[in-house]
Amino acid sequence: MSFTDNIETIFETIDKDNLSAVRESALSSFKTLGLPSARHEEWKYTHIKTKLPETLRLVASQESQVASKLKYFNSIKGTKLVFINGVFSAESSVIIDQSGLTVGSLKELSSQHEAIFTKHFNKATDISKENFAALNTAFAQDGAFIYVKKNTIVEAPVFVFHIYDHASADIFTQSRNLIVVEENADITIVEDFQNNNGEKFYNHVSEVFIGQNAEVNYSLLQLHNQHTTSVNYVEARLEKDARYHITTVTLDGKLVRNNINAYMDGENSLATLNGLYIGKEANHIDNHILVDHRVPNCNSHQVYKGVLDDQSTGVFNGKIFVQKDAQKTNAYQSSKAVLLSDEASMNSKPQLEIFADDVKCSHGAAIGQMSKNELFYLLARGIDKETARGILTYAFANEIIAAVKLPELRTYLDDKLKEKLNITI
Amino acid sequence: MLEIKNLHAKIGDKEILKGLNLTVKAGEVHAIMGPNGTGKSTLASIIAGKEDYEITAGEILFEGKNLLDLSPDERAREGVFLAFQYPVEIPGVSTTNFMKAAVNAKRKHHGQEPIVAKEFLAMMNEKRQLVELDKSYLSRSINEGFSGGEKKRNEIFQMAMLDPKLAILDETDSGLDIDALRIVADGVNKLKSKNNAFLVITHYQRLLNYIVPDFVHIMYDGRVVKTGDKSLALKMEERGYDWIKEEVGV
Repeated sequence: MSFTDNIETIFETIDKDNLSAVRESALSSFKTLGLPSARHEEWKYTHIKTKLPETLRLVASQESQVASKLKYFNSIKGTKLVFINGVFSAESSVIIDQSGLTVGSLKELSSQHEAIFTKHFNKATDISKENFAALNTAFAQDGAFIYVKKNTIVEAPVFVFHIYDHASADIFTQSRNLIVVEENADITIVEDFQNNNGEKFYNHVSEVFIGQNAEVNYSLLQLHNQHTTSVNYVEARLEKDARYHITTVTLDGKLVRNNINAYMDGENSLATLNGLYIGKEANHIDNHILVDHRVPNCNSHQVYKGVLDDQSTGVFNGKIFVQKDAQKTNAYQSSKAVLLSDEASMNSKPQLEIFADDVKCSHGAAIGQMSKNELFYLLARGIDKETARGILTYAFANEIIAAVKLPELRTYLDDKLKEKLNITI
Repeated sequence: MLEIKNLHAKIGDKEILKGLNLTVKAGEVHAIMGPNGTGKSTLASIIAGKEDYEITAGEILFEGKNLLDLSPDERAREGVFLAFQYPVEIPGVSTTNFMKAAVNAKRKHHGQEPIVAKEFLAMMNEKRQLVELDKSYLSRSINEGFSGGEKKRNEIFQMAMLDPKLAILDETDSGLDIDALRIVADGVNKLKSKNNAFLVITHYQRLLNYIVPDFVHIMYDGRVVKTGDKSLALKMEERGYDWIKEEVGV
């Protein structure tokens, strides 16, 4: 018995929101794909099937606890959209109005902005191939809708918080964002997942459309999810001259799978994809990155760094496709992981597929240990071993946080990292 | 302050120190000279507590305590300082944060509260001027992109910050031009007191014109084979090491 057995019965009960056709097609696709087994190449090192409970409920609409409040980020100003167990909470949210900006619940706003919604919804994900994207499309009820009109520079950052506080251990929350940023617009988005306690499961898809010469700074944070098993998709499509900077910061997680995909649809677009992950105990953190260069003259730059301690496991899979027409592509990829214990492990797979002949692509993947010379240098100044290890981990990891553009967020993450490493420098 | 008795040490199967004796008292400056591969830097590393060596015989007493029982960080907090021959570059940690952690580790060890920010900054400012280190270096990552001379000045700056009882300078002068050498030596001379001691390991007599030693020890093949005053260093410079080998019969 698994939730896939009675998935159609569950499907009958959910609200389709005028999306019956696409949902049905997604459901059918998911039924064909099923949950990925260990034989599935993209899930070779992440055996999620065995980590999900046997039976699952996919929607937790009635379980939100009214008392749920934001526990973190209260000191940083911005629009704050709060979703509790996947359901939008208007009373917990704060929206800073600005002309040209529409933010709120996807469920509520999709009909008001039907043309935008129809044009973009489910256009960045591939539900015929991606199991969890298909599942999400069939079942997702709500998430953030962010629509930035042409020439709008969004002044305050938009935070999207997902708070999980339900008491049931069998809920697999499906949430869905749609982010559309038109020509010459600019926005900073910070998305964070907060699990207040107990085991939680969620599957989240965020589709991001970046118009001509527009810029999106997106941070996906997994800071407070020690007991969470999650699948995350951020699927971005970039038009001509668009700029996209995404940073994922994973400081804990029972099992985390991030699929960060960028499709370079327009010439001269730029994507930087940075990631930091810190694994302790039995954490399992998997980052699957895809950059698809489809047209000439685009730049992409990925830097992923991880530190794995105890029995934790890391996975990095970085694909760069350079299609036949994508001449003058400049693509860079770097993956570095440090193992702090004999029981920690890292699986790293860079994958470059280049079909154009005039391109510049480089990549490097390194898995190593902490430098003994560096450690001794710190010890020789009187710093105890645990702190010295923390400082060196910080030194290694800090590059990713230092590149975060929003200053208040940078400071916040810097503090969180230090807290995680138990250092006070 | 420091008493090394019949110290034997090896790395892998190779014996490097073969019965070394050395006594250093507070207020003294000792120089250790000798040809390459004779064990000078090994001695410095062993006193500081580097793990790579196996001590097969002998002991090191520091203020009466058995130093070999202490971890490297405990030794440092007790007042042993090693100025590295090759200071390590650590991208991502500023010298300021590094020193704050080190100063507070020492204070904690001695039962003191963490240093207050204002006092720490004043201390940094004072000590960096001893070695003419520009303020900007302190906010940069440790030694990253520093020239050879800057790295050595940073070592002496750290020494000043931590105010050790015993400071070991492991070839601090190697590769320095004369101006940098003067700066480093001036820094050391300003830190000298009747309560601390210096062990200066060098290839070249030149440094000892600036840091004047009370004793000069010649090391050869894992032992101190001759001890004299500063004139011994001059003699070494003039005549090389061969006469020593003959004189001590090795």
